[in-house]
Formats: sequence, C-alpha cells, structure tokens
Amino acid sequence: MTAVAEARRGELSALYRVRGWLRNPWARPRFLVLVTWSYVLWSLVPVLIAVQFSFNATRSRTEWAGFSARWYWGDPVDSVWHDPTLRHAAIQSLKLAGADVLIATPIGVLLAIGLARWTGWGSRPSNFLMLFPLVTPEIVMGVSLLLIFTQVFTFIGTGTIAQILGHVTFSISYVVVIVRGRLFSIGRQYEEAAADLGASPTVALTRVLLPLLTPAIVASAAVVFAISIDDFVISQWLSSGGATDTVPIRIYSATRAAPLPSTNAIATVMMLFTLLSLVLAFLAWRVFTRGERRARAGQTKDLAVFEL
Amino acid sequence: MYRRWLWPGFAFPGVLWLIVLFAVPFYAVIAVAFGTVDPVLLQADPIWNPLNWNAGWILEVLGRLAPGGTFFGVALRTIAYVAIALALSLLIGYPVAYYIARHAGRMKSILLVLIILPLWISYLMRMLAWVNLLASDGYVNRFLTFTHVLSQPRDWLGGQASTVILALVYGYIPYLILPLFAALDRIDQSHLEAARDLGASPWSTFRTVTLPLSKAGILGGAVLITLPMFGDYYTPDIVSGAPRTSMIGNQIDFYFHYGGQPTIGAAITVILAAFLTVLMAYYMWTIHRASREVRTV
Amino acid sequence: MTTTRGEIQLVELTKRFADVTAVDRIELEIPAGEFFSLLGPSGCGKTTTLRLIAGFEQPTEGQILLDGTDVAYTPPHRRSVNTVFQNYALFPHLNVFDNVAFGLRRAKRPKAEIKERVARALELVQLTGYERRKSSQLSGGQQQRVALARALILNPAVLLLDEPLGALDAKLRKALQLELKGLQQEVGITFLYVTHDQEEALTMSDRLAVMNAGRVEQVGAPQEVYEDPQTVFVADFLGASNLMDATATGAVDGACRVELDRFELRGSAGAADVTGAAKVVIRPERVELEPHGTPTGPNRLPGMVERVVYVGSAIQLIVRAATGDALQALVQNTGKGAPYEQGTPVQIHLPAEALRVLPAGEAESVEED
Repeated sequence: MTAVAEARRGELSALYRVRGWLRNPWARPRFLVLVTWSYVLWSLVPVLIAVQFSFNATRSRTEWAGFSARWYWGDPVDSVWHDPTLRHAAIQSLKLAGADVLIATPIGVLLAIGLARWTGWGSRPSNFLMLFPLVTPEIVMGVSLLLIFTQVFTFIGTGTIAQILGHVTFSISYVVVIVRGRLFSIGRQYEEAAADLGASPTVALTRVLLPLLTPAIVASAAVVFAISIDDFVISQWLSSGGATDTVPIRIYSATRAAPLPSTNAIATVMMLFTLLSLVLAFLAWRVFTRGERRARAGQTKDLAVFEL
Repeated sequence: MYRRWLWPGFAFPGVLWLIVLFAVPFYAVIAVAFGTVDPVLLQADPIWNPLNWNAGWILEVLGRLAPGGTFFGVALRTIAYVAIALALSLLIGYPVAYYIARHAGRMKSILLVLIILPLWISYLMRMLAWVNLLASDGYVNRFLTFTHVLSQPRDWLGGQASTVILALVYGYIPYLILPLFAALDRIDQSHLEAARDLGASPWSTFRTVTLPLSKAGILGGAVLITLPMFGDYYTPDIVSGAPRTSMIGNQIDFYFHYGGQPTIGAAITVILAAFLTVLMAYYMWTIHRASREVRTV
Repeated sequence: MTTTRGEIQLVELTKRFADVTAVDRIELEIPAGEFFSLLGPSGCGKTTTLRLIAGFEQPTEGQILLDGTDVAYTPPHRRSVNTVFQNYALFPHLNVFDNVAFGLRRAKRPKAEIKERVARALELVQLTGYERRKSSQLSGGQQQRVALARALILNPAVLLLDEPLGALDAKLRKALQLELKGLQQEVGITFLYVTHDQEEALTMSDRLAVMNAGRVEQVGAPQEVYEDPQTVFVADFLGASNLMDATATGAVDGACRVELDRFELRGSAGAADVTGAAKVVIRPERVELEPHGTPTGPNRLPGMVERVVYVGSAIQLIVRAATGDALQALVQNTGKGAPYEQGTPVQIHLPAEALRVLPAGEAESVEED
C-alpha cells in the first residue's frame, strides 16, 4: 500500500508542478506589484527631482549642474535666506500655522468631546455643520470668506487676521475627527471609574480624560500645522497683497512666471517642516499609547480616524 | 453624572465659530448672488432678506451656462475633466489600494507610509515638480525625444487638456486611494475564502465578493476627490496658462480678481455649490441603499 | 443615625431609555454585609440596576435607599459605593500604586496615610511589590485584583461588581470566585455581584435575585432558588430543568394532578392547586431510570435511552419519553460505566416529591439587544 501511495505521489507532483506554475495563485499579484510600485515611483520621484534641483548650482531647473546650497543661503539676492519676499512668505506661513494650531486645537478638542457626548436637540445639526467644511471645495470657502470680510465684517477686511480666521475655520473639523476617533476607543469607563472613586466631574475630565486624549490632541495639532502651512486657496483669497503672501502663494506665482531653484528650495524647506511635525506627532502617539497597544490585539481602531 | 449643559457647553465655541465664519459667509455668497450691483460704485450690493432677492444675476449666469452661452464650454469642459480624471484615478488607484490591502504582506506598512506621504507634501510643490519636468527642456521631453517617441520636444505646458487632466489625477489620487484602501482592508478574509471554497475562481471572487463590498469605499473616495476638483482653478493655471483649458473655478477667480464683477462670481459659486449638493445627495442616497443591500454579519 | 452600614433598598426602581424599559419597578432589600447576586441573561436589566446604584444612571422613577437615605440623585463621586468594572477600567496612564491611591488622593488624604493604606490594600489582594507596574503589564487576574484593591481601599458601604470574572479563563475564574467570597467575609461589607453565570451566582451568593426583562422573578438563597423555582424562567435558567408541557387539573391528596399526553402524574414539590396549561419541572439528578419490564407504578413513563454522554464526574442519559419529550437524567459516575446503553428501552420514574408544577402563563423573556 505504501509503495503504491508513494508512486502515485511522485506522479502527481510532476503534474502538479506544471499545472501549479500555470495556475500560479501568485500570478495576479505580480501585475499588482508592478502597478503599485510604478505608482509609488510616479507619485514620489517628481518631488524628489524637484528637491534635487533645489540644490542645483545654476539657475536651471532642468539641467543639473552640480550640487550647491546657493538657493538656500548662498546667493546674496535670490536665495531663500536673502530674498525678502521669500523670507517674509516663510515667516507669514509659520505665523498663520502657529496661530491656527493655538486657536483651532482647543476649540476642536472641546467640540469633539461635546459632540461625542451630547445627545440632545441640536447635536445632530451641529455634527452636520462640523462635517461640512471637510467636503466644501476650497474656492467656495474662499469666496464666502472674502465676501464676509469685505461686505459684513469690514473691520477685519483682508490680511493676516482674515487669513488666520479662515485657516481656523477649516482646521477645526480635522481636529474633531481625529479626537473623536480617540474618544470612541477610550469610552466612558475611565471617567465613570474616576467618579466612582470620588473624583468630581471637573477632576474626571482634567485628570483622567484629557491625559488619555493627549495623543489625539498632539496628532491633531500636527495635522493642523501641516494643512495650514500647505494651504493655498484660502490664504490667497484673503491675502491683502505682498506682505501677507504665504509660501504656497509665492510658489504659485513663481511657477507661473519665472521659477528659480529658490522656489524649489523654499518648497523643500516647508515640506521638511511639515514632515517633521508629523513625525513628531506620530512618535508622540506611539509613546503615549504604548501600554494600550500591548494590551490590545486589533489594529482597526486607528483607521477609525478616517471615518466620518 | 455630568451636568446636562456641559456637553453642549463644550461644543458651543466650535459651533459658534462655524456658524459665524462658515455658515454665515455661505449665506453672504447667496446674498450677493441674489443681490444687485451698485451702478455708481460698481460694487456688489448684497440683499439679505430672502423676500427681496433679485434673481436677475443668477438667471443671467444660468443663461450663460446653458448651451450657447459663454460659460457653456467651460462647464462642459469642467465636467469632462473631472469625469476623466476620476475614471483614471480609479483605474490606477484601485489596483494599488487592492494590492496594499490584501497582498502586501511585510511591505504593507511601508507602502502605507509611501501613499500617505503625498498628502502631506504641499499640492503646489507637487505641481511645481511637474512644471519642472514638463518644461520644454525638462526630463520628460528629453526622455521622450531620446527614445524617439517624440521627434521634437512637445509643449506640455502651453494649454493641453491632457496635461491638465493628468495633473488633476496626480494631485488628487492619494485622496482616493486612502478610503479605497480602508474599505478593502476591512473585508474579512473569511468571506473570500468562503467564496473560493464554494467554487468561485479568483476573478469571480473579485467580481462577486470583493467589488461589491468595496463599493462604499469607491463612492467615498470618488466624492472625496470630485467635490474639490470641481472647484479647482490653480491646477489649470499652473500647468496650462491658456483659457482653452480653464475650468469653472477659473471663471469664479476671474470675476472676483480681474473682472471686477463679484456678483457674477458669487452667482457662479452658488450654482456650483447647488450642483455639488445634488451630487452629495446622490452619493448619500447611494450609500444608504448600498449599506442596506450589503449586510455583513 | 443607623448602626447598619451597607443596607440597600430598591423601591419601585424604574429606568426607561427611549422606548425600552430596562428596569421595571424593582423592589429589593439587601441587608448589610450580604453577598448578593443579580443573575440573569443579557439584556435583563441587571447591569442597568447596578449602574443606577453606582450613580452612572439616574432612575426614571423610584428610590435607591442606602442605609435609609435616598441616593438616587446623588452624583457617583459622593456615594459611599464603589464599583469593580467589567473591563477593570484601570487608568492606563497611571501605575498600580497611583490607580489604587486615586480615590484617596481625591479625598485629599495625607501622603503618609495614602502610602500605608495602599500597602495594606495590595497586601489584601496579594499584589505587594507591583506598585510601579503599568496595568498593561499585568495579567487579567492581576488587573482584576488591582481593581478590587482600588475600590476597597475607600471602605465603601457597598461594593458593586459588574461581571468581574467574565474575561478570565475557567480555572482562574473558579479560583477567584473562592477568593472573592473569602474576601467578602473577611472585609464584611455588602457585595452586590452581577453575573449571567448561574453556577457562579449559586456558588458565591448568600442570596440572589433572578432577573428577566427588567423584573425580578425570584429572590432567595441559592438552595431555595434552585430547589424551589417559582416560575418557569427561574426553573429553566438555573441548571437543566427538563421542562415538559402538561395540563394541570388541580390538587388531589395534597399533590397537583397533571396530564402529560395520555399519562397522569402527581407533583408535590411546590404548589398543588395549579390548573390549566402548565409546565412540569424535574431536575436531572432526581430522574430515576428503571429497567424495562419493572412493574409499573405512579409517576412512571416508558421511554428509550437516546444518547449517553460522559461528562467526567457524572453520566448524562438523554431519554426519549413516550410523551415525545427528551429528558435528561444525571447519574453519578461510579466507575462502572453507564447503567443503560444507547437504544435500551427503560422505565422513567419521576418521583412526585421531586416533580414541580408551574403555571405555563409566564411569557418567554424577550431578548433585548
């Protein structure tokens, strides 16, 4: 019996091997692998080239002439460090981003907690209102804000204040979505335990809930910073001219007119700022939730951030 | 346990802010669109009371959007660009999302980071990168002439519809891949195994199980990119200076910043917003219907 | 000023959520120092009742008297009641010491006192030396003990436990059941224990209440509730019950006469004057099997052994009676194997003193999710 079985196995394996190769279940993924990595390259390589050219020794953005830092600080006229318009734009961008974080984060955190727990009349429309900015095209928001600051709140007009107010308006919703995800995974149990042990509602909120929300708060602050720095439409529509131009506005006008590698340089600098803040936020999140992740098996909770 | 007014109290600052700086400005646009133009100062004169609304300008713009009107071409073009860009994005994005969600194995986290990365790189920087590459002496032309695909460098940036569409795809596709990925990632492997167990081929399993279950993700991603795309004006501006590739957003931009007629700009904005609301409503209705059909236990 | 501490009284306690009545006019009296369990299936209202006593929900109607004072509207942080949560709810951002000390710090006790009391509390739950650990570094059983220490350190009048052993494996659960019971006797305060596991409730409680769809079906000591179920639900929920449909025709000679199919039986456990549609109940361990052909007598039915199940300490015989019902008989494992083989015809004897007749009118519990 064993000899027969072995002989049959020998036959089968030869046949199987041929069929196996033809019907290889891995065949499909090979196509997908190609598409995926091609996409990744297509997506990122142009940016890498742009970064490379920010270090170009000549004015060209298309002919590589050697490595140089002139566009960052070397060139006494056109480098990011020396060109006043670029420097001002960078400072303006950071100003707006900083103000945006400081204002939108607290408002957003409070709104997230309030919306998550509020069940009465008005909670649904409020939730709806909060989601709206996320799906509104920026030009619609730009138009509406421009009109409101020139027709109604004319004491504000266009300029830095208007830009800050505009930035905060679209940033709040991002904070809410991020913090809310974290709130759902925490649940009410810790505040109830705190109350059970004698903590007044205020203490339960400040000593228990807020510390547990810290990773989400830090993450949303970083996200607000990033989207504020990269914002173009709102900043442009509410800009009152050269002094209130941000880096994206400068990049835009330079790209249409006469781009220099310094444009690439300032774009690279801003990109580094953004990525740095995101990495810091990500690390902060990991550090804060280290214990919880050890205790829990599933990963899907983190993706809840993307669900509205 | 907590005072009843605590939660609404927390929500109050945010809600107030959004009402004053989001809802009211929205209304301001409508008020200007339904307003009049001061004949002397040539400024927009908003009418706040709905009862006194002047539909003149809205009708004027609607007329221009209708076939034969001056905006008809732009409107049609915008819809065409968005539709093609969406189709291309889905064509490219779905396989990528599918691979990362279901077959990536060890590379999954790395790939996730790589596809999320573009979201954090300034949109303008990404466009700038392509402007550099598509310049007449840029890498694209050099490569294509070197490989003799082109006999001479092509003017990519001089008003080509294909350039604008590809730029739109490039710019927005990351926002499509992410929700697609989330939806595909969520599909339980046991459903697919059950289908195979019951005799479905890999393609058939994809068609009858994976695709329907990912519909919500497709719709979500589609909405996420088409709504902003309809309002895009900077992409055509950057990769093509020409009026023949302008989108409806460019018209709005023009009337506010160059044409000196904010009322018309506001009117176009209102009509655009109404159109997008209809799209959104359709999306929500489809989602509602789809979620009732596909009940996963 | 009352000398008892930890006496609970629920008076007409009701809680309604939107369209669901989770707790329906419950009346309970729990004397101080008792280990009392709320037992019932999911959705029966036991957890809601616990949360009402703890203060996380407010009653729609009724009173919650703690040592004579109505605390229904007192916020939870001011009640002398502490809770051990189902998932323990140990603060993830604090270590064991800080978790246990939390309540004392809220009460602004001096540092030295806190240190001493925490040490004693940890000793009580046998976790001395674990002060610096984070909760994620503890096993399920250890986390549960920290949760206990954290609650007990505040000397509450009542300790509420919400299915605290649910997340643990069977062996650990048994060990902790004994520990908890011992702890309660040592500390001497009232324990209110919520569970859906009837074995757990029977093992640990001084008394228990069986709940169903927001109402209390029966209250009593474990033996009473098990041996003397007053309703079909209670009979069926605690242990296997061998429920059979029958028609009762009232009392005869002190026992209740029932008709099952074409058989007539007498049941003298419980009420005798039941009439109309009824259910008869008998515990598996009281079902007696006699060999086929034994001279027949009262309360006997023919039947056939359908299945023999070996459960370790006992042997279960599933017997199909001539009425069509499948009855479970439980026989001690004497090491000599099953008394009857599968497929053997037997005579089933249901002793009258073990047969209980209950009115069938009790509605099935509606499962709420």
